[in-house]
Amino acid sequence: MSSAFRAVQWNRTKVVYDGILLAGVTLYIGGYLILAHWLDPPKDLPAAIDLRIRAFGSCAFFMLTIILSIGPVARLDRRFLPVLYNRRHFGVLTFLVALVHASFMVEWYAVQNALPSLYDELTKFSDYGKFIGFPFKALGIVTLLILFLMAATSHDYWLVFLTPSVWKRLHMALYAAYGLVVMHVALGVMQNDRNPFIPAMLASGFALVTLLHLVAGWRERAGDRAGARRSEGWLAVGPPLSIPDKGARIVTPPRGERIAVFRDGTQIGALSNLCAHQNGPIGEGRIIDGCVTCPWHGYQYRLADGCAPPPFTEKLVTYRVRIAHGVVEVDPRPLPPGTPATVRYE
Amino acid sequence: MTRSQRSVHRLLWPLLAFAVVLGFAMALTLRPPPNAELLPAAQDLIP
Repeated sequence: MSSAFRAVQWNRTKVVYDGILLAGVTLYIGGYLILAHWLDPPKDLPAAIDLRIRAFGSCAFFMLTIILSIGPVARLDRRFLPVLYNRRHFGVLTFLVALVHASFMVEWYAVQNALPSLYDELTKFSDYGKFIGFPFKALGIVTLLILFLMAATSHDYWLVFLTPSVWKRLHMALYAAYGLVVMHVALGVMQNDRNPFIPAMLASGFALVTLLHLVAGWRERAGDRAGARRSEGWLAVGPPLSIPDKGARIVTPPRGERIAVFRDGTQIGALSNLCAHQNGPIGEGRIIDGCVTCPWHGYQYRLADGCAPPPFTEKLVTYRVRIAHGVVEVDPRPLPPGTPATVRYE
Repeated sequence: MTRSQRSVHRLLWPLLAFAVVLGFAMALTLRPPPNAELLPAAQDLIP
C-alpha cells in the first residue's frame, strides 16, 4: 500500500520474484536458440532472425498462458497465492518479450529490403475478408497494443485513478488478447509449418487456461448463493466459534457484494469482502499483527472500523453485527466506509 | 472480484472458448497441404 506516489516499491519478495522471472525467460530463449542452432543451423541472416522471432514469440505465448492460469489456480489452491503477488511485473515482462518478437519481425523484412511488402500485407484490405490468408500479423499487432495498454496501466497510480472496478474490467481485455494470440499463430506459422508441436502447444495452452477459468468460475458460483436470512433482513453467519480465530466466514446477501465476518478472539466484525486495492477477497485473508490482511497484496485494515492503519488512508465498508440466540448475524445494509461496527461476545 | 465481474467472467470464458476452438479447428483443417506452393512448378514439369 502507499501513502505517496512511488514508481515501484521494491521489497525482497519482488526482487526474488523478478529474478526468477528473468532467469526463466533467459533460460527459455537461450535454450531455444542454442538447441535450434545445434539441430538445424540457419543458412542465412533472415533464417537466423526467423529463429529469434519463434523463440521470443513462443516465450510470450507460454508467459501469457502462465499469467492467465495464476488467477484461477490461486482461487482453487491458496498455496499459489505468492505467485499472484507480483503478477503485474510478469505482465510487463511479457509485453517486453512480445515487443522484441515484433521488432525481430520488422527486422526480418528490413534485412531483405522488403518493408513495403509488410505494409502491403497489412493494408491489402481484401485479405481481411478471407479466413485462410487473413493478415495474421494484424492479430499480433492488436495483441501487442492490448499488452501495451495493460503494461502502461499496471501501476497503482492508474488503479487508483481508474478505480479498481474499471481497472479490473480493462485488464479483462487480456482474455481477448490470448484468443487473438492463438489465432495469430493458427493463421500464421501453423499454416506453413507442419511441426506438430505448434498446434499441440496452442491447443494444450488454451485448453488449460480455459479449463482453469471455467472450474474456478463454477466454484465461485456456489459462493454467490445468498445466505440464510433471519429477522429484519439480517443474515445468519453461525455460532461465534464457527468463525475461525483470526479468520473469517464469508456470507452473501441476496443482492450486493459478499461480506467477510472476522473473529479476533472475542471481537467480531464484518467488512466488505472487496479489498480497496484490487477488489481482492479480504475474507480469504487472516488477521496479522492485529489487522485484517488481504491475501493478494497484503493490504491491511483494522477490524474495528475497516480503516487502514496510519499513515495509509484506505477504508472499507463495514456492516453491523449482532449475536442473537447464540448466532452471529450481520446486517447486509452497508455502513459508510470506516464506520466502527464490531461486537464482543462472552 | 465484484459480483458483476464474476458474472462477466462466467459469461466471457465459454464464449471465448467456443470462438477460439472453432477458429483453431478451421485453421487446422483448412490449411493447405504440405508443399502446396510447389504444385504449380511441379505441374510445369509434367510433359
